[in-house]
This record gives sequence, structure tokens and C-alpha cells, in this order.
Amino acid sequence: MSDEERSGADRRNFLKTSLLGTAAVASGIGGLFGRFNPSTGALEVSSARADTRLKMAFVQFQPHTVSTAWGKGIAEVLATQQIVDYDQLDGQAKLEVQVSLMDTLISQGVNVIFLQPVDSVGVAPSIAKAKRAGIAVITLNIDATEPHAAHVEMNHYFGAMDIAKAMGDAMGGKGKVAILNAPPGIIIRDQRTNGFTDGLKKYHPDIQVVSDQVADWDRKKAQDVLTTVLAANPDITGVYGVNDSMALGAMDVAKDKGLKLVIFGNDGEKAALEAIEAGDMTGTQYTDVFQQGRLAAAVATVLASGGVSAKAFASQGHLLMPYIIATKDTVGQIQPSQRW
Amino acid sequence: MHVRRATIALIVFFALTISLFSLVAPRFATTSNMENLMGGFSFIAILAMGEAFPILTRGIDLSIGAIVALVGMVVFDLSLIFHVPGYVILAVALAVGALAGALNGLLIVGLRLQPFIATLATLATYRGVVYAISGRQLVPGLTTTPIADPWITGLETYFDIGGALGTDDFLPLPWFPLSFFVMLAMLAVLSVFLLRTKVGRDIYAVGGNAEAARLAGINTGRIILLAYALSGLCAAVAALLLVARLTTATEALGFGMELSAIAAAVIGGVSLSGGVGSVFGPALGAFLLGAVLLGLTLLGISQYVQQIITGLILLAAVGYDRFLLIRRQRRLAANVA
Repeated sequence: MSDEERSGADRRNFLKTSLLGTAAVASGIGGLFGRFNPSTGALEVSSARADTRLKMAFVQFQPHTVSTAWGKGIAEVLATQQIVDYDQLDGQAKLEVQVSLMDTLISQGVNVIFLQPVDSVGVAPSIAKAKRAGIAVITLNIDATEPHAAHVEMNHYFGAMDIAKAMGDAMGGKGKVAILNAPPGIIIRDQRTNGFTDGLKKYHPDIQVVSDQVADWDRKKAQDVLTTVLAANPDITGVYGVNDSMALGAMDVAKDKGLKLVIFGNDGEKAALEAIEAGDMTGTQYTDVFQQGRLAAAVATVLASGGVSAKAFASQGHLLMPYIIATKDTVGQIQPSQRW
Repeated sequence: MHVRRATIALIVFFALTISLFSLVAPRFATTSNMENLMGGFSFIAILAMGEAFPILTRGIDLSIGAIVALVGMVVFDLSLIFHVPGYVILAVALAVGALAGALNGLLIVGLRLQPFIATLATLATYRGVVYAISGRQLVPGLTTTPIADPWITGLETYFDIGGALGTDDFLPLPWFPLSFFVMLAMLAVLSVFLLRTKVGRDIYAVGGNAEAARLAGINTGRIILLAYALSGLCAAVAALLLVARLTTATEALGFGMELSAIAAAVIGGVSLSGGVGSVFGPALGAFLLGAVLLGLTLLGISQYVQQIITGLILLAAVGYDRFLLIRRQRRLAANVA
């Protein structure tokens, strides 16, 4: 074959394959999603859902024990309503992914969006867009700068104050404390830190915070950071991890070096509760996150089924979750089914 | 104008994907979804177009995500801490991006580092610089302050073309975002640059066979430096559009975006072995990926499956690229024999 004939044959082959390919894919998809309507004899493809059902979605920060537990609580309540279609989407810890997901949900016409923002300012334009479409946005734990329907929170500030009180009591009212902190620039970190320091000032003014280092919410990083801090301040008797992972890291260091430290975390993870029962960790702020999901879903169901538009709100709603400062004495109250 | 077979295949595949999702995905063929596609993926298209240049020179730029974060944080700091006027910020942002890219080029040309290693090093370095200069960490309270400068927030504007042209009665048109027009303008300029100027053709020559290009009198060092500077410049434009869309910049901005850009470029027909490709392909590749992601989300398909499908599309594109390369080599060998 000459070059021209060959390229002509190639072109025909290419067209043939792409047409066959299209037909194959289309019939495959038609088979997957289509139905044969017996009365009209036509092949139908599933269309958008009927309008009487409510649609809700949860855009999480990234897969994590906390957001998974929220999702379980939310799904439990929404499934009971029988008329809600619910989806849990992953923000992959990326702001632009969350914004894109919210745009998609808004154009789908959902009724309520549950949101755990990657950043409080970055999601504000999307929340404003949702509000214009009448969609209620309920944020979990991390607030956003754009007023929205409701913010359901683990009670970061007041809980941290109570942690300071309990920690001071355990330390006998005096001593030195190190804080293992989250990277700066996040609201929840400021709330939990300020609550702690304000609580110390109020209840135990003799206790000093001698170190406040970043351990990236991470157990391993906390181990390294605390080891360094203890080398510089060997007389530290108390450690506050702004989340349980970091407090557990402190516990690892204390066990390793045989030190008797008063260690408090924040969140109430299963691992932390077990450490408290074993006596290795002193306490944490425990919130029932399944319940947090359920309460958020309750708010959502009432708003959506009542036909309340997001535009009807005069100001942003706030809901602080009840909590327990779990110590050796109180940790027994927390049932196994409540542990996450 | 000779249109490559790979580009035609891409256009056909794109059209097929759009038609398929319009049929099966609820709310896909709506104006608001098209707005989301344009608004959410124009900056990825710009990143992909920028990434095409280093890949064309048989290199790669892994640091564009970090450059996006760097430029974003520079814009954030200049606007919220130093209150610099918006038009100055735009110019500074572009300069920072171009310089950051040029530094990549210098490391590759001057120190003769492998592009993968050099840009991996700058990826880590630029991320570190972002954290060091982060206004959100230096000045408490800025975490909750949005950027309000009209020169920047104005980049996130939507134009009611349908209303202006009066076509809304018989053809509902989406509102076109400014970022889409910026992308089109860059596509036009970069295409002309690549295909019609001597420097553009030199880029192809360097990518095809760097030694032959050097012997032919092309200043390969300067060409490679230019390619990486362009990549940085496109990252700066993408950063400006992204910061306008989010009204803020974060330290983790652009994390992982280099992979999307490289995937879009490869799907767009830019060969990883250099010397073959265009800027139209990467741009279309980015929108193809965007359409697939949006379509699958609307279908309610799990995001993990979406990532698998994106990976499969990338594999298919790379496989097709390899197949064309082998066929090209076989044809060359047949001609020589």
C-alpha cells in the first residue's frame, strides 16, 4: 500500500474503531442505567429524582474518625425520615475541591449542605452562593466567615476552660505546663488554646504555661516535640495536647521516660478514653460525635421539611455540644456504643 | 494547519464524554453545571498549558503547585498586611511566578540537575517559604479576613453573554466566568508563540533532540530557562484566579495540583519524551478531566471510584502516547531501511 492509501486506511480504521467504541460504550451505559419501558417500548435512561424527596450532602474535610462518626450520626437520623437522599463527599483536605463539590451540589439543587470547612474564609463565597439558592448550610466544628444557617460545634472554648480547671486540680494548683498545639491560622486551634489559657488564669493562676509548640495534630510529631521540650524544661508536670493524638504522643513519651505527667487531650477518641481508664492519660474533653451528627441532621430535617429557606435566617444559628471532661472517675459513664 | 491525530482523538473523546454525561447524569447538561466546569477548571487548564512547556523540553515541573501557593500567599500578604493597591499586586504576582519558574530553569541549566530532582527540591523549598511568609500565621485575625481588593476579587466575575446577545430565548447560555476568557486569551497567545515564532519552534527542537538543537545553533540553556519561566508565569495566573475565587490563600493551596496539570497535559497529547504536543491539548485535557469529575459526582459515584477512573483515563492517554511513539519510530526505521 502506498503512504496515501495507508493513511486513508488508518483514518477509516480510526473512525471505525471510534464509532464501534462509542456504540459499545453507549450500549453499555444504556444497559447499566437504562430501563426498557414496557408501555411505550422505548429505552429510557434514569433521570433526575422526583421532587418530593429531600437531598442532603456532607462535604467533609477528609476521611477521619470524627467526620466518619458525624456521617454515621447524620445518616442514622436522615435514613429514619424515609424521604431523604444523603451523600457523604470527601474534600480531600483541599479547599478548591470543597468549593467545586459545593458548586456541584448547589447546581444539583440540594436542600441542605453539611460542611466541615477546610478553611473558614475560602468556603465563604460558596456558602454565599448556596444562600442565594436558598440552600441551608450547616457547618460542623469549623466555623465559616459567611453567616449561614447553623454552626454545630464541639464547644471548643468553654470545654478548654474546664480542661484547664480539671488539669489544675490534678496538678495541685501549681506547676509548669507545656502545650502541644496545632499549626497556627486555624480558628479551632485558637479557641481551644485561648479557652485553656483563660481557664488557667481564672481557676489556677499559679500554674505557668512554659512552652507552646506546634505538633501538627500528630501523635508522632508530638512525641518528638515533647522530648525536645522536656530537655529544655525538665520540671514540667503537665501537658495539654490540643487534640487527643498529640496528648497520646505525650503519653508515649511519659511512659518511655518513666515520668509522671498530668496529660490532658481534647476530642474524646476511643484510644484516649482507653488510656484514661488504664491510668496513662489523665483526662480529655469528650463529645459524643455521633450525637453531634444526629443533632445537625435534626436541624437539617426540620429546616428542609419545613420549607425554610436559608434566606429566612436573621442571623447565624449556633449550637454548642454538651461534653464531659472524662477523667478516671467519669470515663465509666461513656458507653461503648458512644465511643468513636 | 496540520492537526495531529492525537488531538482529533482527544476532541472526539471530549465530545463523547460530554454527550454521554448529558444523557445519563442528572443536571449535567444545565447552564449552572457548565458554569461550574468553566469556573472550577479554567485555572487547571492554565496550569496544564504552563506545564506543557517544561514537558515539551523533555523535562517536568513538579513545583507548580508550590508556586501557586507561593504567589497566593504573596498576594494575601500584600493585600491584607501591606495594603498594596490591587494593580501593583497583579504585576508583582506575575513577576514572582515567573522568577520562581526561572529559578527552576537555572537549577536545571546552570547546575545541570535533573528536572525531576530540581523541581522536587523547589517544590519543598517554595512550600517552606509559603509557611515562613504566611500572613495567616504571622498576624492573628487574618485567618478570618477575606481579600476584598476589587482588582483581585474582580477576577471572579461572571458575564451574562446570553443576555447581552439576546440569545436566551432559544438557546440558554451559561454565564461565562472571566477566568474562562483569561484561559482562552492565554491559549491564543501561547499557541501563537509556540507554533509561529522561532523561539516556539526552538522549544520543540530542544525537546526532540537537545544535542542536535545545540549543534544547530540553538541556545538550549536559554530555551529551557524560558520554558520553566513560562510554567511559573502560568502558575501565577492560575494562583490569581484561584485566590479571587476563594477570597483567601492558604498554606496548602495548590497541593497536588501539579499532578492534575501533568495528567491533563499528557491526556492532551504532550509526550513525556519531549518535542511533541501543543497547548490546546492540555487545556482540553483539563476540561475533560473536569467534565468526568463533575459528571461522576452528579451520578453519585463515590469519589474513590472517580480517582480510579481518572487514573484509568491517564493510563489510556499514556498508552496511546506510547503506541503513537512506537509507530512513529517503526515508520522512521522503515523509511531508513
